[in-house]
Amino acid sequence: MSIFSPKKRRRGLEAARAREWIPFKDYTLFFVIAVLLLFGLVMLYSITSYQGQVLWGDPAFYFNNQARYTGLGLIIMFVAAYFPYAVTKQLAVPVYLASVISVLLTLTPLGYSANGATRWLDFKYFNVQPAEIVKVGVIFLTASIIDRLGTRVNTIRGFIIPLIPSGIAALMIWRITRNMSSAIIVMAIVMGMLFVACPFYKPFIAMTAIVGGAGGYWIYHTVETAREFGVTADFRGERILAWLNPQAYADNKAYQTLQALYAIGSGGIFGKGLGQSMQKLGHVPELQNDMIFSIICEELGLFGAIGVMMIYLFLIWRLAVIASNTADLYGALLVIGVMTHIAVQVILNIAVVTNTIPNTGVTLPFISYGGTSILLLLAEIGVVMSVSRKLGIKKPV
Amino acid sequence: MQKKLLVFFTIICAAFLVLMVRLISITRNNGAEYSMAVLSQQSYENQTLPYKRGKITDANGTILADSTMVYNVIIDSKVIGEQPFYMEPTLAAAEYLGLDKEKIRTYVEEHPNSQYYIARKRVPYKDKLAYDDWVSKGIEEENTKKGLLEENKFYNNIKGIWFEQNYIRTYPSGSLASDVIGFANNSNVGAYGLEEYYNDVLNGVEGRTYGYLDEARNLETTTVEARDGDNLVLTLDGNLQGIVMKYLEAFGEQYRDNDHEGNGANNIGCIIMDVNTADVLAMGSYPGYDLTDPYDTDRLVGMPKLSKIDEATDEYLTKEEVDAFSEKEQTRYLNALWRNYCITDYYEPGSVIKPFTVATGLETGTVSPDDTFVCEGRLHVADQWIKCHNIYGDGTLTVAEAVERSCNVALMYMAEQIGNKLFSQYQKTFNFGLKTNIDLAGEAKTDTMVQAPDMGPVDLATNSFGQNFNVTMIQTITGFCSLVNGGIYYEPHIVSKITSSSGATVQTRQPRILKRTVSEETSEMLRDYMVRVVEGANGTGHSSRPAGYRIGGKTGTAETLPRGNNEYVTSFLGFAPVDNPQIAIYVVVDRPNVEEQDTARYACVLAKDILQEALPYLNIYMTEDLTDREKQELEEKGLRDTNGLGD
Repeated sequence: MSIFSPKKRRRGLEAARAREWIPFKDYTLFFVIAVLLLFGLVMLYSITSYQGQVLWGDPAFYFNNQARYTGLGLIIMFVAAYFPYAVTKQLAVPVYLASVISVLLTLTPLGYSANGATRWLDFKYFNVQPAEIVKVGVIFLTASIIDRLGTRVNTIRGFIIPLIPSGIAALMIWRITRNMSSAIIVMAIVMGMLFVACPFYKPFIAMTAIVGGAGGYWIYHTVETAREFGVTADFRGERILAWLNPQAYADNKAYQTLQALYAIGSGGIFGKGLGQSMQKLGHVPELQNDMIFSIICEELGLFGAIGVMMIYLFLIWRLAVIASNTADLYGALLVIGVMTHIAVQVILNIAVVTNTIPNTGVTLPFISYGGTSILLLLAEIGVVMSVSRKLGIKKPV
Repeated sequence: MQKKLLVFFTIICAAFLVLMVRLISITRNNGAEYSMAVLSQQSYENQTLPYKRGKITDANGTILADSTMVYNVIIDSKVIGEQPFYMEPTLAAAEYLGLDKEKIRTYVEEHPNSQYYIARKRVPYKDKLAYDDWVSKGIEEENTKKGLLEENKFYNNIKGIWFEQNYIRTYPSGSLASDVIGFANNSNVGAYGLEEYYNDVLNGVEGRTYGYLDEARNLETTTVEARDGDNLVLTLDGNLQGIVMKYLEAFGEQYRDNDHEGNGANNIGCIIMDVNTADVLAMGSYPGYDLTDPYDTDRLVGMPKLSKIDEATDEYLTKEEVDAFSEKEQTRYLNALWRNYCITDYYEPGSVIKPFTVATGLETGTVSPDDTFVCEGRLHVADQWIKCHNIYGDGTLTVAEAVERSCNVALMYMAEQIGNKLFSQYQKTFNFGLKTNIDLAGEAKTDTMVQAPDMGPVDLATNSFGQNFNVTMIQTITGFCSLVNGGIYYEPHIVSKITSSSGATVQTRQPRILKRTVSEETSEMLRDYMVRVVEGANGTGHSSRPAGYRIGGKTGTAETLPRGNNEYVTSFLGFAPVDNPQIAIYVVVDRPNVEEQDTARYACVLAKDILQEALPYLNIYMTEDLTDREKQELEEKGLRDTNGLGD
């Protein structure tokens, strides 16, 4: 197939099979990741220096933490890159079980809560968000299941089997840690992997129609109830109303969204300049996490924002190329899982910030502040690199 | 699989494209509006910073009025409402600050968007400090406990309580010099006394913190510090004032409910002045009030009821009546209580005016020291008889004897010799009918209270012994100082120095000579005459002599209007010591609560008691030997013989 499989790589692939190959080092991928990480750190410092000064007395507070995790993440990434990923095929079930157990651990005293939800595990020196681990666990498990199913994945039964364990994990994230957005991402990752693995479209179109229809009905129902009774007692229902009419909920539910929109709108085409955001001076809640993109828009304008999106797109394209060229189904599926993970998070994050979908907490990969997230994302990239090494070329004789 | 990968990638690209379009549309359609929104919600943090009102200290540096930093507790419902688990810890903290928990809860629930609610005023600095300590210690302790759920924390969840700095006026001296000081409310507006007169001096300039956007649209904050008010240093001596107030209160207590239900007298006033500078050393009146609680209506009990034109009547307020007062009535009577009797009230002075009449005669040459006058107990003036208080007649009197015995008839003869024009002119010279311009708020205007130069013979005759015209205490004693000190009339004043908040002197008030009233000779003669009032065989002021001292003075007993109801203003106007006069004292007892008011004795005894204690305090020592009885009296009062200490 045209763009993803140049002839040169094909030959390399055959060479790899002959075990006489030079490992492929994907510098492009590494370069894209480095750009994203550096850009993310610069933006994080620009955005959080004021907040860090106010809350912690240190403008570099967030920056230092993030830089530390980034450094650690890079080490993990290289270790993963040189780790034979094929071994993980056997480890997929234990990894999955461990990630599920980590969710259960939030119910123990290890659980650490903020903003009214227990989403973290507190290991004294660092905090871990189990939902992030589950995403990795599900990628491994799904890849492993599909790999084992082989051609059986073409049947409806084969289509449903991978959905069961990931569905359970997603349900746990949603119900136990009250983190609906992570649950959605987990399901999206599995759906993405299945979509690429299964040759048919109909079940996906049907599922999209069902989810879309249910969502549409729920929105309609919420709006009608609100109109009829004037109120909605449901926390998520209020989010829907706030999404549809942010100005009316400016004081409360839509405050964050509206402030993000203000930031985007006031940035203009070229932005106010790095470090010149006014919205970061305490107006945008969670600006270092979910709302970081809005400040990027404010400081760098449309130009910068679309530039960032292009970098992500380039990264996704690069992952697609690797997946496409990998002869090993398991490896390809791992890469597709990572790709879906990143793509879904970027899309959901920007969609929330621009009020395209109702507000839900999704971080922007590699840029948002968060230790677990950056560590695991870099680990995932490490796995991708490990897969891409197999795309080496034949040793010249 | 590769085909599906391509489809998948295309879907992702489509999603990215949608988001990019969305970004562009936000910027294009709402860019201007959102830019405005961003600018408009910048908090410019306009906040006024209170200034400290200047303090008032007496001559010794004792603080009479000061401003203390306090804090208002502000409740921010919006912040409390951000998380459901903020409520309980915050309410507990509010309770720690002495607030009613349930009231705050109700408020926060009813006003979820309120960000500024003054829940409690005037929390002292040390309470605020204790609170800060409590919270920060709690947070520290809590942060060491790992694994504690955010919503289960306590100290970390105290939100939406903050403090606003303010100043309140405090009066550590209480009721010591309320008339002089007056009081300022918490908006720094002074009422009565120095607080009103020097309001602008005492007040500073408010500071302000404000934010603005500079040309690069950075938020800048600028603070203009508040400038504190200037301080007043008084000529008034707190210790001397204490002595005066002690005896005024004692007198009031002694004669309370004596002849009728009510205070010991309608009013008692006392001024002590430095005769050589007209510095006010003490000034007080009875009934007084407490500056720490000027609105205490219990102080009104026993005051005379006021007529429609605010004149005292013969009826007196009871506790029940005061409690039943309407707000308007209450204000009327409180205003009467707060008034400084020494400068605001005017009355017919009576015989204390006689030295002024004699001085006028001597100074104008219309009366010679050797002139004699025959008193037959009454004098026929125009078409009516005017009585002397000794209705049997004093016989033939010299000028000196006329003053000693306080003979009305002799004074009427003198006034006749002086004539109405000169008499009236000299009244002006002694500043009767004019303001003294003492630096206190509320000095009465008396220009219509004196007779015109074309007054008739009856007015002239009665004026000679201090009836039929009105004076204020401050006028009388200031004029009297010039009679005693050799004829120099100083402008009376009570502030000696104004200093800045840092302590630097801004202004010093030197004694200000306004005019010469009489010659040295006249002044000396009058001093001699007035010593005879106290020491002479027929003197009317024997009872005013403090043991061990020689003083001079003049008594006064003036019948109030309407005549014939046996109500008098009795007074004593004196100076001490005789040889080298340093202070003047004026005691006025307005309608003492006794059956027979028509004697100056009450004022005299009061003056004597005050002087007995005040003179040694002023380092004026005894010059006369003490009798055994006097020694015993001194001992009872805890005072000592200061004979010979001055040498």
